[in-house]
Amino acid sequence: MKKKVIVVGLDGLEPTLVERLLQRNQLPNFAKIRTSGHYGRLQTTYPAQTPVAWSSFVTGTNPGGHGIFDFISRDPQTYLPDIALNRFERPKSMLAPPRAVNRRQGVPVWQYLSKAGIPSTILRCPVTFPAENLLGKMLSGVGVPDIRGSQGTGTFYTQDRTVQPKEHEQVVYLDRAAEIVTRVHGPRNPRTNPPSDFTAEIRVRVDHGARKLVITAGSNLAIEAPENGWSPWVRLKFKLSMLQSVTGIVRFYCRQIDPHVEFYASPVNFDPAAPLFPISSPADYGKTLSEHIGLFSTVGMAEDHTGHNNGRFDEMAYKAQCELVFKEREDMMMHELGRFTEGFLFTVFDTPDRLQHMFWRFIDPEHPNFDPDLASSLGPYIDGLYQQCDALLGRVLEKVDENTLLIVLSDHGFNTFRRAFDTNTWLWQNDLLALEGGKKPQEDLGDGFGAVDWSKTYAYALGLGGVYLNMKGRERSGILEEGSGEIEKVRSTLQTGLANFADQETGCPAVRSVSRKEEIYSGPFVKDAPDLLVNFCPGFRVSWQSSLGGFAKSLFENNNRRWSGDHIIDPDTVPGILFMNRPVVHNHAQIIDLAPTILHYLNVPDHLSMEGKSLL
Amino acid sequence: MKLLVLGLDCAAPDVIFGDERLLNIRRLMDAGLYGKLQSVVPPITVPAWMCMSTSQDPGSLGIYGFRNRVDHSYEKLGFANSNSIKSYAMWDHLAREGKKSIIVGVPPNFPPRRINGISVGCFLTPDTTKDDFTYPTSIKAKITELVGEYPVDVKNFRTDRKDWLRDEIFAMSRKQWQVVKWLLTEQEWDYFHFVDIGLDRVHHGFWNYFDKKHVQYEPGNPYENVIPDYYLWLDEQIGSVIELLDNETILLVVSDHGAQRLDGGIAVNQWLIDEGLLVLDEYPKEVTPFNQLKVNWAKTKVWSEGGYYARVFFNVEGREPQGTIPAAQYEVFQDEIKARFEAMKDDKGQPLNSLVFKPKEIYHTVRNVPPDLIVHFGGLDWRSIGTVGYPNIYVQENDTGPDGCNHAQYGMFLLAAPNCPINGEFEGAKLLDIAPTLLDLAGYDIPESMQGRSLVAGMEKRILADGTEAEKEKIIHDRLAGLGYV
Repeated sequence: MKKKVIVVGLDGLEPTLVERLLQRNQLPNFAKIRTSGHYGRLQTTYPAQTPVAWSSFVTGTNPGGHGIFDFISRDPQTYLPDIALNRFERPKSMLAPPRAVNRRQGVPVWQYLSKAGIPSTILRCPVTFPAENLLGKMLSGVGVPDIRGSQGTGTFYTQDRTVQPKEHEQVVYLDRAAEIVTRVHGPRNPRTNPPSDFTAEIRVRVDHGARKLVITAGSNLAIEAPENGWSPWVRLKFKLSMLQSVTGIVRFYCRQIDPHVEFYASPVNFDPAAPLFPISSPADYGKTLSEHIGLFSTVGMAEDHTGHNNGRFDEMAYKAQCELVFKEREDMMMHELGRFTEGFLFTVFDTPDRLQHMFWRFIDPEHPNFDPDLASSLGPYIDGLYQQCDALLGRVLEKVDENTLLIVLSDHGFNTFRRAFDTNTWLWQNDLLALEGGKKPQEDLGDGFGAVDWSKTYAYALGLGGVYLNMKGRERSGILEEGSGEIEKVRSTLQTGLANFADQETGCPAVRSVSRKEEIYSGPFVKDAPDLLVNFCPGFRVSWQSSLGGFAKSLFENNNRRWSGDHIIDPDTVPGILFMNRPVVHNHAQIIDLAPTILHYLNVPDHLSMEGKSLL
Repeated sequence: MKLLVLGLDCAAPDVIFGDERLLNIRRLMDAGLYGKLQSVVPPITVPAWMCMSTSQDPGSLGIYGFRNRVDHSYEKLGFANSNSIKSYAMWDHLAREGKKSIIVGVPPNFPPRRINGISVGCFLTPDTTKDDFTYPTSIKAKITELVGEYPVDVKNFRTDRKDWLRDEIFAMSRKQWQVVKWLLTEQEWDYFHFVDIGLDRVHHGFWNYFDKKHVQYEPGNPYENVIPDYYLWLDEQIGSVIELLDNETILLVVSDHGAQRLDGGIAVNQWLIDEGLLVLDEYPKEVTPFNQLKVNWAKTKVWSEGGYYARVFFNVEGREPQGTIPAAQYEVFQDEIKARFEAMKDDKGQPLNSLVFKPKEIYHTVRNVPPDLIVHFGGLDWRSIGTVGYPNIYVQENDTGPDGCNHAQYGMFLLAAPNCPINGEFEGAKLLDIAPTLLDLAGYDIPESMQGRSLVAGMEKRILADGTEAEKEKIIHDRLAGLGYV
């Protein structure tokens, strides 16, 4: 019999919730795995973020060995933020299309396995876009953009012309007609000035009797979106020119029919059968998979939290969408499990993370956006989702035999996010960051450090907890000399000034500590890491504004958004979970220990040279 | 600027411009200038690639096909080889400017031309395991190291072993493109010209399985997709080559002629016998090649060579050894024979609509020994069969083996130049326009001797600009949209 390793990744599953439900015997399958082997908390990465932690999981190294330090990176030449997971390279010839490049470095576990002739099936692992060649199959996960190149831009359609677009969305006004003709916005068209969108026409018939929208796109069969419900996926064709077209898939949510029609279109996802960029390996794997399980979301962030955050659809609709996504993922995993005979099968379920981000306010009565009414109906749903994960494991366990190592883990835990701390304002208050012409930090300065006087700035915050020094020779307008005493002064000002820094209004400690990159990272890519990392206390997080190089209204602010739970706090306070159907050699497992564990179980000796150590 | 010519021998405009799946081709079409490309008469690999490379018509090159009369005797036919071409080609013009070229498989290229750069032989190379097929000869070892035995053709491609043929063609082309990519990246060049012969072989081998209007086409046959698959594969190859280029490179994807279905063959010599223009001492009992027939030259006025088109020769007094047509009546006789060819009917009694050309009329000059007439039977819907001994002149099987396709007068071009002043579909381009157009775009003078014209003559070349900072900032901002955490 060939040996098998099945890994089920449950993004963001929180140990305290798991432990509570275990105690109440509400997670029987988790309990079964624990009994046959191990349960414990899993030390995550600095910082405790999905792309960082899963990259450490697959490479068995700390982030210094794989180069993913945050969702967001910055270009030191422009000080502008960018997505840190992948980039698009413009080839030397304008005749060639842009090329997607994965920014994760290091050697992932499936490459060691490929070299050893052992096949892998990797489903929706974060930071695997574009999909890479391997022995086996891969479908990319978090990091896959939508067809516009964003992480997810939805569209709100309304007959109410007073509606204005909110964050990261488009609003399209509808005519009042029995059959409404409108358009779905597809890829950006960079050839026009200013850039515009390629669009695809749809026809929407309003069925007042049956309370639904009937939508036709091109030659496709009509699909239906019932009032307060989601339509199935539909393929849209965007004509890029006389000669070229690209297909994408979209799902509609009908918000209301009366007094005027309002509906929402999900971000246009790459068509799994014909993506603009490689989202699967082999290239036709996505197509084959969709032929077996139907169309499925392909964008990295498949749960449409932005549309929900903007209030375009309510909690029930968001929950319904999360369930649809979870089902897609379950279908693809079960499809692969059904024909899994050897090697490594790994699936990441992002839904627990996306759901908890939005629903945490229903289980934290002290959250500024707590709503007691909704809490009573929706609060239990987080537990419900954990139980859904348990049911999933029940199905997986049916496929586990004595030659199978089963690992169930989360990359980090979860906590509440009540208050936002504006790191850039703190830097300004402490004379580490200067603004032009005597300006004071305020929200309307915008993102991207527009008003910063770089000639007097020593440090700036960007991303989800990182602080960068303004280094001469590295930053465009850097002023700190390499090796100068000033650097030490700036770093210790930050470390001592922010350690146990308290929220004046609530008296709660907001920051536990500040880490220097060399204290927490080692390896070839440490140079690319933020110079310092702010480790927040539970309940706090970096502000929305500082993460993009802007300023909040004040140093501390209530987080009034629906996005109410988070995990980007001191990693020691948000460990993940680890279940294994084999005993482990010690009980202080780190996420970097799992790649070597997998290799060890499959008799691939490369695990001996990895930073993490096998738990077997 | 550098010039890269990817020649697709026999590429058919309708197929290559019509298949939506050819994404790289489509992107190039969007960015560039494309259209049908009128080939020379005759539209055949030799001399067409050299007509393109020299901007000289076949008469000026003195090459009227693969086989040419070397003198006015009845027997002597010479195969065109690389030494037959006396005119300057692109690589010769560039060499005078000190520029380097790489040519791979540009026919005829055996023996391999000695150029300022690298030359790799074409399908006319007899045996690449024995013969020198590269210049410099040292390149041969490197190619062998890279891909093993280097095939220049699929010998005996007119065969009924279709699975074998398909696999052989793909295997050959894979090696050729691998060598091309190696040369593109590892060697120095200003002009690079490759000809993929695999496409021509695929067309001849599988057109009747692909073209729904072909008389032999059977729906659902197992080889229906061989031709589309080969185009798709070529598109991938082109895509991977584009990745290797920079903005200083002009790319031309081009064919020497097109492809069209073959309705059958006209046994031309048999027809000439029927017409009393060709006289045999003894009519053969079985199908017999022309050179094995006992011709009564003293009574013969006209004979012809077979092939995709007919090269028709007159037996002229004082020119041929036993000439029968008085030289003074040559032109009257030529008109008469032309008219008789034009009046031919097809097997159903309908006009055949053949095209009959007088070399002196269609060429700038006529070198070496030209045919007296060139005939495209039924506008090339029918090929020319030189063999004699069929029940009648309309022949379904080909005397040189199964062949589902003839060459078409119109090939295709797709020119993607970063500095090209015009784009979109272009009508009226001719094969001889290619060389002057490339020279014009790359910034060279166009030699007076070239017979074509630049398609962008007199137009201001485009200057390349990069996106503005604000545009870049907007793009990055868009990329973060929907991240949730920000």
